[in-house]
Amino acid sequence: MLVQLLVSGLALGSMYGLVALGYHMTWVTSRTMNFSQGHAVMGGAVVAYALRVGLGWPFPLAVLGTLVALAALGAVVERVAVRPFFLGGSPAWLLSTIALGIIAENAAMLTFGKDARAFPSPLTQKPILVGGAGFYPQEVLIPLVGLALMALVQLLYHRSAWGKQLKAVAWNAEVAGLMGINVPRAVMAAYALSAVLAGVAGVLLAPLLNVAPTMGTIIGLKAFAVAIIGGLGSAPGIVVAGLGYGLVESFVAGYLSTGAREIVGFALVIAVLIVRPWGIGGARPARRV
Amino acid sequence: MRRLTLPLLALLTLTLLAGAAGAQPKEPIKIGLAAAVSGGSAASGEAIKRGIQIALDEINARGGLLGGRKLELVIRDDEGNPAKGVTIARELVEREKVAVVFGGLHTTVALAQVPVWQELRTPYMGAWAAGTNITRNGGSPNYVFRVSANDDLVDRYLSRYATEVMKKGKPGLLLENTAWGQSNEAGLGKWLGERNIKPVGIEKFNWNDPDMSPQLLRLKGAGADHVILVANAPEGAQVVKSRAKIGWEVPMISHWGISGGRFAELTGELSDGVVFLQTYSFFGPQGERGQAVLKALAGKYGVKGPEDVIAPVGTANAYDGMHLVALALEQAGGTDGPKLREALENLKAEYRGLIKTYRRPFTAEQHDALTDEDYIMVVWKGGKIVPVSAK
Repeated sequence: MLVQLLVSGLALGSMYGLVALGYHMTWVTSRTMNFSQGHAVMGGAVVAYALRVGLGWPFPLAVLGTLVALAALGAVVERVAVRPFFLGGSPAWLLSTIALGIIAENAAMLTFGKDARAFPSPLTQKPILVGGAGFYPQEVLIPLVGLALMALVQLLYHRSAWGKQLKAVAWNAEVAGLMGINVPRAVMAAYALSAVLAGVAGVLLAPLLNVAPTMGTIIGLKAFAVAIIGGLGSAPGIVVAGLGYGLVESFVAGYLSTGAREIVGFALVIAVLIVRPWGIGGARPARRV
Repeated sequence: MRRLTLPLLALLTLTLLAGAAGAQPKEPIKIGLAAAVSGGSAASGEAIKRGIQIALDEINARGGLLGGRKLELVIRDDEGNPAKGVTIARELVEREKVAVVFGGLHTTVALAQVPVWQELRTPYMGAWAAGTNITRNGGSPNYVFRVSANDDLVDRYLSRYATEVMKKGKPGLLLENTAWGQSNEAGLGKWLGERNIKPVGIEKFNWNDPDMSPQLLRLKGAGADHVILVANAPEGAQVVKSRAKIGWEVPMISHWGISGGRFAELTGELSDGVVFLQTYSFFGPQGERGQAVLKALAGKYGVKGPEDVIAPVGTANAYDGMHLVALALEQAGGTDGPKLREALENLKAEYRGLIKTYRRPFTAEQHDALTDEDYIMVVWKGGKIVPVSAK
């Protein structure tokens, strides 16, 4: 039981972390974010389902196609729902990204249908049994891919020229613009990357959770909680918070009751907001006296 | 008082006019359907619509009712929302002037509508929602009828099946965390209690919960030798997957929620051996009615075979319900609500239906046409529903 809870907790937690990292990417570059990250998770699962099951593409090609589609989606979100408001300093992006998410969900209902569908994967056929409990190989794969991706994103961010552009924009958009960095393009890239991260989470979770237009909403919300707990500005904080949140959920469900899971989880969010409003990984903001 | 006179007169005139219009011989008889035709339970609404429509087509092909009046179906969406259900109930009766209204899947909606039928004196024919108090609502006279399962009888049936047919004595209950789960918790507690059996564990889950293995592990730890499941298709599928994940080959019997949606597709062979309740199955040898309905489903809705019938109980219940209503309309000689209710309660004609042969299906006290004698147990096998021989 312990092993199973540990594996399930790490699997879900790493996905919360991955999606939350998407919030972080766009937040640091533009002080905006896509409030419909959860719908990008759903988008990843639905597109992957359409390519793999609907069109019968081989798995690697279907995944590649999904990632390209999600990057495009992220760019569209930025162009349509964020940029018109971002430059004017208006907080309307908040509503417009939610609106886009609702549109996406309903579009999925119209095209994909309302019922949940199974996403076949060789890694969810046979569970690995350990001492009266068990888990699917997929649940081991998920945190591995998740952590590897998070590390890769950090590497890109800190080492590549492109990452340095993002970083410069994050540090000071105006100065970066003066230095010849195309700021809108950098922000768009951050949105594309953020949607891709959510899409990967969708593809990875699809075989476990089934594919449905409403599958992403709760994940998006919990990922946002994770981003707040970890600190919106701190990638390592978010990774730790994600894994922690997944484990807490899993253990509360396993040892207390599933009814208590959301209560404990979200109570934790409030507790962190009171004690450390800048998040566990964030820096305490300087206080003006 | 005087201020009221004019509007009252106007109302009276309108009523008379409406009455006069209703007396015209060839005007169609309207049949209402208030059910969820959108959202997660849309399949159930569609299934009920098909059942009514097929019966309507048969009756209209014979020349209609009451001296050549054709039947016409008017559909309104309750969106699974009780408040919306009450609004459309009134609209169907007051604006559309339907003779009778068929109901959908949600017990919560059906319960909210009960006072409306009683007040407007319009018969309601339940085709799905199984909540015990929908028909046993204490109203007298009672305008609420049903050709469907009744939770209380379902729970009695499941308890009997578990103890007498499966010979098990340690049930673990796994219920969805809603009013429907609650009503079955009460019913199962009552009927298992009659047999001096106490569930070894009662576990709940929420809609869209991804993993049910913690609940199953607790039931396993408590020593359950079978699991009684009350779930709809998506959550039922997660339960079956989690059962495989923890490697627990426990016998599972289920209420009928898992027959809607895409349970078979979601679970594949993992659901093999899960036994559940139905009022009818289109699998196996079919009688005359069964063949006719399957043929109509194929012709009108492109249904290729029994495995292609969505939410089969909805179609079967609604089909028989519509034919019973038709017989009552003939017997009552008109669409007047109280007369129609009386005709339903004292139906003289015998109806050889799809689910069974109905002889006086309703009385003043008994408003459920089906009882646990009519339920059948079926089992998933390779993604198909196969009848279980033992009752």
